[in-house]
This record gives sequence, C-alpha cells and structure tokens, in this order.
Amino acid sequence: MDYITIALPKGKLFARSIELLQSVGYEADNVTEDSRRLVITNEASKVRFIITKTVDLPTYVEYGAADIGIIGKDVLLEEQKNVYELLDLKFGKCRLMLAVPEQMRRPNLTDYAHLRVATKYPNCARSYFQSLGIQTEIIKLNGSIELAPMVGLSELIVDIVETGRTLKENRLVEVASIYTATARLIANRASFKLKFDRLEKLVGDLRVIVEGENV
Amino acid sequence: MVKKKFLQIPYGTKDILPGEARAKREIETGIINNFAVWGYDEVATPTFEYLEIFSDEGAGLLAESFKFFDRSNQALILRSDMTKPIARMVATRLDDGRLNRISYLANIFRYEEAQAGRQCEFSQAGIELMGAAEPAADAEVLALAVSSLQVAGLQDFTVSLGHSDFIAGLLEEAGLNAAQAEDLKDIVLSHNMVGLETLLSTLDIKSDLQALFRRLLLLHGDLGMLRELKKTVGNDKSRMALENLEEIYALAEEYGVAGFISFDLGLIRNFDYYTGMVFEVYTPGMGFPICGGGRYDKMMEAFGKSCPATGFAAGIDRIMLVLARRDKLQTQTEWDYYVAWREGRLPQAIVRVMELRAAGKKTKLAVRPSDAEAAEKERERNFCRKLVFIE
Repeated sequence: MDYITIALPKGKLFARSIELLQSVGYEADNVTEDSRRLVITNEASKVRFIITKTVDLPTYVEYGAADIGIIGKDVLLEEQKNVYELLDLKFGKCRLMLAVPEQMRRPNLTDYAHLRVATKYPNCARSYFQSLGIQTEIIKLNGSIELAPMVGLSELIVDIVETGRTLKENRLVEVASIYTATARLIANRASFKLKFDRLEKLVGDLRVIVEGENV
Repeated sequence: MVKKKFLQIPYGTKDILPGEARAKREIETGIINNFAVWGYDEVATPTFEYLEIFSDEGAGLLAESFKFFDRSNQALILRSDMTKPIARMVATRLDDGRLNRISYLANIFRYEEAQAGRQCEFSQAGIELMGAAEPAADAEVLALAVSSLQVAGLQDFTVSLGHSDFIAGLLEEAGLNAAQAEDLKDIVLSHNMVGLETLLSTLDIKSDLQALFRRLLLLHGDLGMLRELKKTVGNDKSRMALENLEEIYALAEEYGVAGFISFDLGLIRNFDYYTGMVFEVYTPGMGFPICGGGRYDKMMEAFGKSCPATGFAAGIDRIMLVLARRDKLQTQTEWDYYVAWREGRLPQAIVRVMELRAAGKKTKLAVRPSDAEAAEKERERNFCRKLVFIE
C-alpha cells in the first residue's frame, strides 16, 4: 500500500488538525509544530506528515508533493490553486473584512473609491472591489496590516479578524465583511483518483466527527 | 555587454536540450507509429488559425489562449487545442461521409500558470476518430490511449472514465436554469465538495436527486458501482449514459485494457464540447492528467456538417517528466563510434567514417589530429562506445 502524505500548516490550525486526524486513526507521534523534522512517517498506518508554511500548503498539494492537506479557506481563496476541496472541517473560523480608521468612516462603500488598501490578501481584496465596481490601489503587505493607515501608507485595510481586539486597539472600524472562512480538507487531483478508497474513508470518518460536534 | 532579453525566453516556454530532444523524438515516434499500427493517418494543420474557430470554446479556455492580429486586422489564435482545427479540416477538406481516422503530433499554446508538467507551449500526440457514434469507436479510442502510453514506457496509470450525458441528465432532471447549471458544473469541475454542499442547500431539488448530487464527486468505482448506480438514476439520459459506458467497458475488456479503467461519474473536462464518454489518465507522482479525451458529436455542426466523433490527446512533456522521475528517460545520447586520426591521416579517416555511417553506425569524427591515448579520452568524453584510431 502506498503512503498517504498529509500536509499540515504551521500556526493556529495546527493543533486541532493533529487532534482531528488522530481521532480518525491517523496517529502522528512526535508531530509538533516546532519539530525540527519536516517529514514524519508513521509506518504502521502508512501515513507521512509534512509541516509547511501556511501560504505554501496549497502549492504542496497542487503539485502532489502532499496528497492531502488541511488549510484555511482564506488561503485557498487567495492562492487560487488547482486542488480539490473535500470537507469543511468547521474550525479555525475567521473573517476577511474591510476596515478604516474611525475618523475616515464614510456613509457609502463607493465613497472609498480610488483610495489605497493595505492587505495580505491582494487577490481577494481586488476581486471584492471589482465585484462592487470600485477602483482601488492594492498594497500587498506581509503582516501588521493595521500599521499601514496609522502611518499613511494606506487609507483602508482588508484583513482577517478573529476577535476584533486588534481593530479596536488601533482605532479601526469594520465597514464591510468580505467572507467567513474555516479550515478545509484539500486533496491533490491525481491522488484523489489514485488513492480514492482511503481518501473517501478518511473524508467519511472526518465528516462524522465534524458534523457530530456541530449538532 | 549582452542585452538582457538575449538571455531570457518568454514565460512558460523552454529549450529542449541535446539528449532531451532525442528522447522526446523517440517517444513521439513510438506513439505516432503505434497510431499508424491502429490505422490512424497523420495530419498537420496551421500553427495559428482564425480566432472564430475557437470562439465557442469555454470562456476560460479562450481567455487562456494567445491571440494576435494579422495585417488586415483579422484576429488570430495560436492553436490552444488540436481537436478544433482537425474538425475544421475534416469538414472542409475531407469527405465526411466516410470514417476518418486521424493522428497528429503538435505543439499547443495555452497561457497556463507554468509549473512542472505545465508549460504555455507544450507537445501533444493525439487521434480523432470521426464519423462513428458507436461504442466500438469509443472503446477503440480508450484502448489506443492505453496502448500508446504503454508504448511510451508507462505501466502504472489509471483511466478515469465518465460520461458528460450522465451529469447533463441530472441537471435536466433537477430543472436548473442555465446560470445554476453553470455554477454546478464549475463546482463539479473543480471538485469543490464543500461548495457543492453549499450550493445544493440553496437549490430546490427533490431529495433523492439531491442525495445523488451530493455523492456525485464520490461516484468512483468498478462495474458493480455502475450497475448499482443505474438502479438509482431517475432519468433516461443519465441511464442511457451509464448503459453506453457499460457497452464501452465490455469492449475494453476484449481489448484487454479494462484493468486500467476506473469509473468516475463526477468527471467533467475543461472543454465544453464533450457529448459522450470522457476520460482522463492519471499516474502516481503527477498532479495533472497525462492524457485525456472523449466524444464530441456536435462540434462539426459549427462547420456546417453533422458528424459524430471521438478522440484523445496525450501530453508528451508530462509523459517525459513521469519517465524522468522514474529514472526511465535516457537523456544521454550514446554514439557507436569515435573515429580519431594521427597527423596527416584525415583523408583515410574520412573514408572509414563514411563506411561506418553507410552501415548506419552513429559516428563522430575528430576534427583535429591526436595520438591513441588522447583519442581514447575523447571517445569517452563524446559518449561513443567504440574507438577507431587511424594510425
């Protein structure tokens, strides 16, 4: 039997991903986020785990370097990779939204046209504004997005919020919600076909757990 | 100072180096000869065509193509597929009353995100069987696809086989409007199972059909699965599609290729023109299909003819990549003879070289005089099996 290679993202989705996989029999001894080993093999259940940077995870799966992976829908929407989305795992909920400094708040969304938008999610931001017919200048940053309006780099930000505390601390207000995202199980196109029986069972088992918890 | 552009090639293209090009040619020759063994005659069509020929293709594909204008401002396209040009050629130049078995080797151009096995310019080998609607034609195409991959040196691959009418029948039965059907097709194409659930929950579809749609992307399996499925299908179009697949499969068994086939009823290909069986071939370690095809009975109508047709294309670059990864691609060319000569003996060396070449030996001739010891080193450096030294 071939190995199934599972890609796991570093960061906030990591711990729960391990837990979920463990509960369906994909034991991962010694798999920790700060593990020095990047590839961990479980000979008994023919599983191999690889730990990747969040934004790179869909790429590993798209190329088939990993058969499946767990990743936030926000990353999938931004990266636009050619992977199969198998299951909503319903954890790691977060929201992509548009925020402005309190004093910049305006009555209509269209009032924000032609302004500068700082974001880690340029593709999502661009398609959101395009769907509204609003032109903006997108500035791609890699972190601390809320800093941009404070120092005059941008007027608006498009960013992920979980609790809203960062916004409040930086005197930003949300003016529109773009989408809500949760963790997803994704698969490589070829792997899904070539290792179908095992993957179908995995999806079925995970579905029972995920949906059981949400009843 | 070398100009910057002199060192670069355009995005998504590549140079094929000595050894690679030979290996590629050998694979192509093997496949095209195999096509001939099966009764398919090779054709070539223009590298670029009028844009209109491709304009009814799926919007996504058209957006991915390379387009330009000629001197009289006619819109042209670098062929993004060979099936369309061959349909045009058959409709306009060949007698479409009879069966046409056609093969080709061609470079195709599509603006793709370049990555391993995906280039903007890539090489395809394929066949089209035009003028037959019978399952016999589809089975022949499937069997030839398997045989061609085997000829290329591949053994472990799976043919995912589906039918465009199966999904079309379900969509009709559900009574979806064009926009809803389009959304659903997009989701099935990208295998977005989460999106499928979400979309289904917004549509008003009766519960048993709803359940079938929910399972659509998981309808993988063997003949047993297909027969079970036939019992649960509520419309004639889908049922006939399954019967058609059964007939094709029965013939594939006779061809001895059924073992490669796995049914996948959620399979949709990224071309709008398919009307019958569709298939894709997958192999371990390659994230994309290495071969794909199907039946397209309506395409010739655009050219004013009615002619059922079926065919497939295989990606030569992807096959080479798979072989290379399995250490089965010989990219170091080996030569038969290296002919070297001592000072003043070049005329005799030329005579000897020409004898060897006349005998069909791949032979390299030294351009400068040398001694026997230096010649032996040169032989090795030139990857020649034997040394001939003219004293």
